[in-house]
Amino acid sequence: MAAYIIRRLVWTVPVVLLVILMTFLLMKQIEGNPFRQTERAVPAAVQANLERKFSLDRPWYVQYANYVKGVATGDLGPSLVLRDRTVNDIVKEQFPRSVELGLLAFGWAVLLGVPAGVLAALKPNSRFDYGSMLFSNVGFALPNFLVATLLIYFVSVKWGLLPTSGWTTWQHKILPSFTLGLVPMAYFARLVRGTMLETLQQDYVRTAKAKGLRWRRVVTVHVLRNSLIPVVTAAAPLLGYIITGSFIVENIFAVPGIGRYYVTAVSARDYSVVMGLTVLLSVIVIVANLVVDILYGILDPRTQEARG
Amino acid sequence: MRLRVRVLLAAALVVAVAVVAAGCGGGGDTKGAAGDAGPAKNQVLRMAWGAEPPSLDPGLATDTTSSNVLLNIMDPLVRLGPDLQPVPALAESWDVDGKVVTFHLRDDGRWTNGDPVTARDFEYSWKRTLDPKLAADYAYQLYGIVGAEAYNNAKPAQAAALRDKVGVKAVDDRTLRVTLTSAQPWFVQQAAHHSFLAVHQPTVEQYGAKWTEPQNIVTNGPFELAGWKHDASITLVKNADWRNAGKVALDRVEGRIIVDGTTRVQAFEAGEVDALDGGGLPPADMPRLKQLPEYEKYPALGTYYYGFNLKNIPDVNQRRAMAFAIDRQSIIDNVAQADQIPASGMVPKGMPGFETIEQHFLPPRADLEKAKQFMARADDPKQKITLFYNDAPGHKEIAVAVQAMWKELGIDTTIKAQEFAQYLEFLGPPPNNAVDMYRLGWIADYGDPMNFLELWTSKSGNNNSNFASPAYDRLIEKARNTPDDEQRYELYRQAEAMLTGPNGALPIAPIYWYTYTNLERESVKDTFQINPLDQFDLSKVVIKEA
Repeated sequence: MAAYIIRRLVWTVPVVLLVILMTFLLMKQIEGNPFRQTERAVPAAVQANLERKFSLDRPWYVQYANYVKGVATGDLGPSLVLRDRTVNDIVKEQFPRSVELGLLAFGWAVLLGVPAGVLAALKPNSRFDYGSMLFSNVGFALPNFLVATLLIYFVSVKWGLLPTSGWTTWQHKILPSFTLGLVPMAYFARLVRGTMLETLQQDYVRTAKAKGLRWRRVVTVHVLRNSLIPVVTAAAPLLGYIITGSFIVENIFAVPGIGRYYVTAVSARDYSVVMGLTVLLSVIVIVANLVVDILYGILDPRTQEARG
Repeated sequence: MRLRVRVLLAAALVVAVAVVAAGCGGGGDTKGAAGDAGPAKNQVLRMAWGAEPPSLDPGLATDTTSSNVLLNIMDPLVRLGPDLQPVPALAESWDVDGKVVTFHLRDDGRWTNGDPVTARDFEYSWKRTLDPKLAADYAYQLYGIVGAEAYNNAKPAQAAALRDKVGVKAVDDRTLRVTLTSAQPWFVQQAAHHSFLAVHQPTVEQYGAKWTEPQNIVTNGPFELAGWKHDASITLVKNADWRNAGKVALDRVEGRIIVDGTTRVQAFEAGEVDALDGGGLPPADMPRLKQLPEYEKYPALGTYYYGFNLKNIPDVNQRRAMAFAIDRQSIIDNVAQADQIPASGMVPKGMPGFETIEQHFLPPRADLEKAKQFMARADDPKQKITLFYNDAPGHKEIAVAVQAMWKELGIDTTIKAQEFAQYLEFLGPPPNNAVDMYRLGWIADYGDPMNFLELWTSKSGNNNSNFASPAYDRLIEKARNTPDDEQRYELYRQAEAMLTGPNGALPIAPIYWYTYTNLERESVKDTFQINPLDQFDLSKVVIKEA
């Protein structure tokens, strides 16, 4: 197992290098000037000073090499637009908030989505089943911005129950995390229901039942455990996605996280922020996938043996 | 985003119904006479800022949010009065002698660490902003000073020598002498811009790029930066040691950074903030918001225009026809909806000298009859044109409206959107041949028509129209050297006539002059004021008893 983990970790290096190269070349391809954020034309002298300051006057391969060197030493460089801050500052200050938002959203998904799926599968075609599946279909289909706008309008402006936006107290965190958690919640509910129904048909479940085991024990020990494998598979990339893909939710709820920078940095041509966040995102996805593989082995020993 | 707008409209309808219903119920309410109420005990203003300030370094800041934070935590040499004329601030007086401006500083300016604010601070700061190593985006705001551009453009080897030649000199602690490249009568007024603020040298040198963090920063204005949680909040507290602190009512300004326009409005409506920063209200919500007692609008020095590519649409009669076919008032009433003013020229209403400069040629309403007459006179008019705009809220709707108006002249307009950063590169200069017409806007840096008219000189980096006239260039150059206001306004009138007058070349069809729209609680509405340059002075704000 240890050898496997190490091998996988070593593989992340070329993957990250490739990600940097691709992002770097793509960023160079699009037109636009990071030093011109308004209509105002930038005088040649000012442009030259700025390019020199941020080493954009060097050939692209030198820039790339410098950047890789920076990443290797944990220095993601200065932001080209937020002049008082480095990419490290931005990540250090704002990434934890996105992680918190993502985990809370994930919490909603697990807390509500998994039980909904389980209960629906245990009583298929019941009213609860139809109800929860309707809810999850709707939850899946509604875009974030719509849910967010409606929640703020009713819960905050109309009923005055929770603050509209911000990220200071626990009350501030309810609406954004719920909004972000809605899609994974719906996804989990449907996934768990499906796999549960399938597992319930398995021979070993019938055997356990025939042996006279209590139904509750059959469900919790045998059915649930095996039904959760696909959930775990889906969970890790999903977690990566909700941590970094929360642009809309962060923007609408004014959550000072990192997701919204990802998109604004692209339109502002803030190359170093785009690069830094891409590297961060790819590392998260790689690590998340690794964790899944490890959890797989624990949940289903067969996969571990197969790997040797 | 389209869907979102629709939802908001639906939400707006719900609110409108609720408002009407509520209005019917409470007939006998007496309106509180807001004017009579005294100041409230609790002088804490909660406001929403529309963006994270990209930098609170006066040398590096380029945007409105940073500028407004800076102008409240720092003391400029001058501030702008209601008519945009400079009024004394840290400088108690100034003398202008041709190209030499001398500021006389007050003796009670203090940095928050107790150091006196001196003329040397300004000399250091301005030269720092011009230092090629700092690479300040707005270094060019100071290019009117002798030697400034050369120093900003210097190679490392010559930098030190050129630095000493920059025409700014602290004669003593309280006298700052500035030598300009030409008379530039607007220079004193320009000193109210945040690029001309002083920074505290020891602090800047000690902390480098981190000097603007609240734990490090040393300022000299009516408020101190007590907290700055990036992307979340900005807290200002009254600077009790400021030279005029007795006149400042607010104890604290608790600012939240809310980028999304709709969320900003919702935070206001939920009672979480008392004022927005004037950064604009969502167009889709405008009809409803305009009805609120908290709605406020201010004239802005800004022009929204469509530029012509003179190479592609060479006949001035066709340009006249197109400019006359635009129904500006209708665009404002039905599309833009933010109480803008129909624009008849490049220089916006409210600009000093406007009455002299205005041409009265382009009408606020479409004049189709005249437009068709012009079109008939056009030699081989271009029937198929392409209009470019940047893909930000509102522009497309205006383009579609104008497209329909030009259809009346038999012109088929293709409209094309581009993402902003790409768009700016695409337009040029040199002007892009693929562009027949393009949308742009200009918001003033300072209150002199020069800031608008110099855009159309042949070497201007903002001129994408192929309009190049030596006569026009000469007029602008002459105005630069004409200190007398009336004489200069006359030159500006001639220049504006060359652009948008009856015999003008019409390189642009101006659409509207901007307004700033805002929401402000009635308790602060009287004292919270945004000037035509989008600046607000929090030291003047008093919260009244509700």
